[in-house]
Amino acid sequence: MMDLIIFLSLLVLGYLVGQWTEKRHYRSIREREQQLKGLPIVTYRFPPKNKIFDQRLVTGNVVISVDYFKRFIAALRNFFGGRVTSYESLLDRARREALLRMKEQAEAMGAAYVFNVKYETASISKGRKNAIGSVEVLAYGTAMINGSNDA
Amino acid sequence: MKFEDSEIPEGINVTQVHPLKELAVLLGGAAIVIVLLVYALGLSAGYLARYIPFETELKLASPFAQDAGQPTEILDYLEKLKERVVDVMDLPEGMTIRLHYSDADTVNAFATLGGNVVLFRGLLEKLPNENALVMLMAHEIAHVKHRDPIVSIGRGLAVSTVLGLVLGQSDLDVLGNTGLYTILHFNREMEADADREALEAVYKIYGHTSGAEDLFHTIQTYREELDEKEGPAFLQTHPLDQKRIDAIDNYSDEHHWAKEGKPAPIPPSFVEALATDR
Repeated sequence: MMDLIIFLSLLVLGYLVGQWTEKRHYRSIREREQQLKGLPIVTYRFPPKNKIFDQRLVTGNVVISVDYFKRFIAALRNFFGGRVTSYESLLDRARREALLRMKEQAEAMGAAYVFNVKYETASISKGRKNAIGSVEVLAYGTAMINGSNDA
Repeated sequence: MKFEDSEIPEGINVTQVHPLKELAVLLGGAAIVIVLLVYALGLSAGYLARYIPFETELKLASPFAQDAGQPTEILDYLEKLKERVVDVMDLPEGMTIRLHYSDADTVNAFATLGGNVVLFRGLLEKLPNENALVMLMAHEIAHVKHRDPIVSIGRGLAVSTVLGLVLGQSDLDVLGNTGLYTILHFNREMEADADREALEAVYKIYGHTSGAEDLFHTIQTYREELDEKEGPAFLQTHPLDQKRIDAIDNYSDEHHWAKEGKPAPIPPSFVEALATDR
């Protein structure tokens, strides 16, 4: 009985807090995406030839943890199969946040573009039982900075 | 070549579904799966339990076996009646019935593991004639003959094991002292089969089935009294007395058994002994 009460309160807490932080995070993501709209990022690997840029590595890294409610839903999903919708938003947030952090770094350098943008995704606490899973997303690329022509 | 930033579109990478709706669908699905699993396993366990040899059932029941008690007027009569009933019931070889008498007020009787049949004074003293008593005894013995107690326990055990595994609770101590009796639940078919078998025994002993239905009349009257006192919902495992009376009536007709006859009386010495034994 005690176990059930603990479980239910964790579930409710996970749902309320998880949903609230997710909404807040999405609001912040959309806001900053608008702010950094002026800095194009592309996956193209070759720099433009007509102009000379300084090139530097920029990275954005984020770790997001799943809440109890999401994990419970995902566990049930594992049983039936289908889209793990509760993790979809988690990864969506992580990717966009990583990209934003990378862009912020590039912007601080005064970059005109970021080229060759790539993602790495890793799961932390993999394989450990009963550990709440976290996901790490790393976005990296080459910042193209309008530089001196002395190269 | 132009390099431009494109906005990340919403609603493609994330399926738009309310988390609570998702939870409801998944939990509903899980509940259905568990119910089906429990039902299927309960059925198959009950089916297999019939094949457990009676000697094994005796060993299972031995920790709970009680002494039959000192031979008294009451036990003496009940034992003799039991012999007559067992003679006509054609029990499989090796199946023995151990009769127990309890001086409790409980208006009930039951059959349990190991061929043990328990009759309570509360019910015995309400029965109007010997035929009704034979009907009662034969009904409980029929449960033993049909292996209903072990089937019921097999089912209960399978169900609680599955629930224990799925829900992560270990409530597997069902063969504990209390579990043995509370878990016994015979379904309506088992009861109906036992009624028919018992009616046949009554017919074989007395040459007519008169008096058999008095058992149900007695229980019905008692239940009505109780409903008035405490409200309904007692003795729920034996519902619909009138239906059972009709069912045995039809069964007599099918076999062209005489329904008219004079029920044998219960010996006055037995009635007296019951009245003083409290």
